[in-house]
Amino acid sequence: MNGEEMTAWWFVLPSFALLMIFVFYPMLQAFIISFQNYNLVGGTRSFVGLDNYRTLMTDQSFLASLRHSFYFAIIVIPIQTSISLGMALLIQKKVATTGLFRTIYFIPVVVSTAVAATVFKLIYNKEYGLLNNFLELLHLPTTNFLSNPDTAMNGVIMLGMWKAVGFFMIIFLAGLNNIPQDLYEAAKVDGASKIQQFFRITLPLLNRTTAFVVIITTIDAIKISGLVFVLTNGGPNGATETAVFYIYQMAFKQMQMGYGTAAAFILFAIVLVISLVQMRLFRNQDY
Amino acid sequence: MSRIASFVKYTIMIILAIVSIIPIFWMISGASRPYAELFKYSNSFNIHLFVPVHPTLQNFKDVIFNERNPFLTYIGNTLFVASIVTVLVLLINAMSAFAFAKLRFRGKGVVFALFMSAMIIPGEVTLVPNYLLMHNFGWLDSYKALIIPSMLSVFGIFLLRQFFAEVPDEILEAAKIDGASMPRTFLRIVLPAAVPPMITLGLMTFLGNWDSYLWPLIVINDDKKQMIQVAIAAFSSAEGTDWSKILAASTISTVPILIIFLFLQRYYIQGITMSGVKG
Repeated sequence: MNGEEMTAWWFVLPSFALLMIFVFYPMLQAFIISFQNYNLVGGTRSFVGLDNYRTLMTDQSFLASLRHSFYFAIIVIPIQTSISLGMALLIQKKVATTGLFRTIYFIPVVVSTAVAATVFKLIYNKEYGLLNNFLELLHLPTTNFLSNPDTAMNGVIMLGMWKAVGFFMIIFLAGLNNIPQDLYEAAKVDGASKIQQFFRITLPLLNRTTAFVVIITTIDAIKISGLVFVLTNGGPNGATETAVFYIYQMAFKQMQMGYGTAAAFILFAIVLVISLVQMRLFRNQDY
Repeated sequence: MSRIASFVKYTIMIILAIVSIIPIFWMISGASRPYAELFKYSNSFNIHLFVPVHPTLQNFKDVIFNERNPFLTYIGNTLFVASIVTVLVLLINAMSAFAFAKLRFRGKGVVFALFMSAMIIPGEVTLVPNYLLMHNFGWLDSYKALIIPSMLSVFGIFLLRQFFAEVPDEILEAAKIDGASMPRTFLRIVLPAAVPPMITLGLMTFLGNWDSYLWPLIVINDDKKQMIQVAIAAFSSAEGTDWSKILAASTISTVPILIIFLFLQRYYIQGITMSGVKG
């Protein structure tokens, strides 16, 4: 091995060691543990084959937690993507005020999950909350989103979107800036309306950006946990238990490490399949 | 027509801006008023819904000098861990990124592919084995469990590699001819050329660690060693009714981060943009 090659390996070694110890080795372990009945407290560990997976398939609370995660994803993907694209379009033109608006729209992204969830808990409060105060002003019925199992997830969704739209707005903004301006000039000469320009030029040329946004949103949505922990702690009545929340409960509250890990693998498989399908879908539309 | 359009546009922009910052503004104003006042104006829309009638710093004092919930300690703990992680992430991942961008070695393609494939492995899958690993190493309840596994940033390697690749080879050759060693070239020429992406990655890492919740919740049990996010969440469920203090604690943990962000937002947003476009 020559000098350059030696140096290169020394440069890569620290991160490579971390990669092996904290990503690939745990991944392998996770695969093994998911076939075991592993209770950390009792110290018992036995091979049970596919039992964990089989039980999970009929475990009503696991299936419910997956449904909640999917509900979150299905609502959030279209709404959040359109709002963030809309925001990006609003502030795309560089004038004095857009920088200010961009900063303001981005602030919720920087606020930590625990703080945002804590503050929103109070905002949702039926008697004192800002939101109900506002609903009352508009003569709309007031409600405590978080204490009703039918609406609690929507409370989580609103907070999730509040925190995330600014992030995706920035990504759309980057995508919009990559579209050559002369295409719009040419369209204008041909007499295309703003709406036609949007559907014929902006949207098709944003394909790659949109794909990125949709895939990341889907993955994040299906893995949602932090907001749920602080905002509702899974309640009321388990209505906001998401898949990751369920995995945490199983592995670290009930100490069923094997069962929790098997659930994590199912989640991983779902996320992987969805992102592969989405990548394929968006690629086929390429121009 | 166009005046109406621009009026509508600005109205929407302002509404979105209000929705974006009202919760934070309201948190700060709620933290600066006495408890008796907090809900007094909540059922009306007047200026005092957002502006305290009797502004006070008492809530902040109560939170900071609380024996049971020493928020300055939590912030100190989090600052300590997040700073160390940030420095180490920058160093270790920049080294690898440099090797991948500028050095030739056998197996480079395969090793790089291994790193990139780690991007699809979500932390949730390796949560349990990583916890068991910390358990076996005897690192539970110690900051090693928070720092060492967080030192790797595959995304960071990906990001920095793009930048290092743009450093002209001629400069590296010239340094070599002048007798500079590879580590010296890296420290003196390559790193200084990549200050903006280093700031980007540093900020993302720092904010990510400041925000981290699930992992500290799992590996740290000693209350005095806890991180700020877990402390805030625990505080708000324990003190369920003392909303003034909860808002004060939230404000204390948010305002410094917001200030850092406002100063460095250009880099932070740039970093997100780059990750988006290349995705």
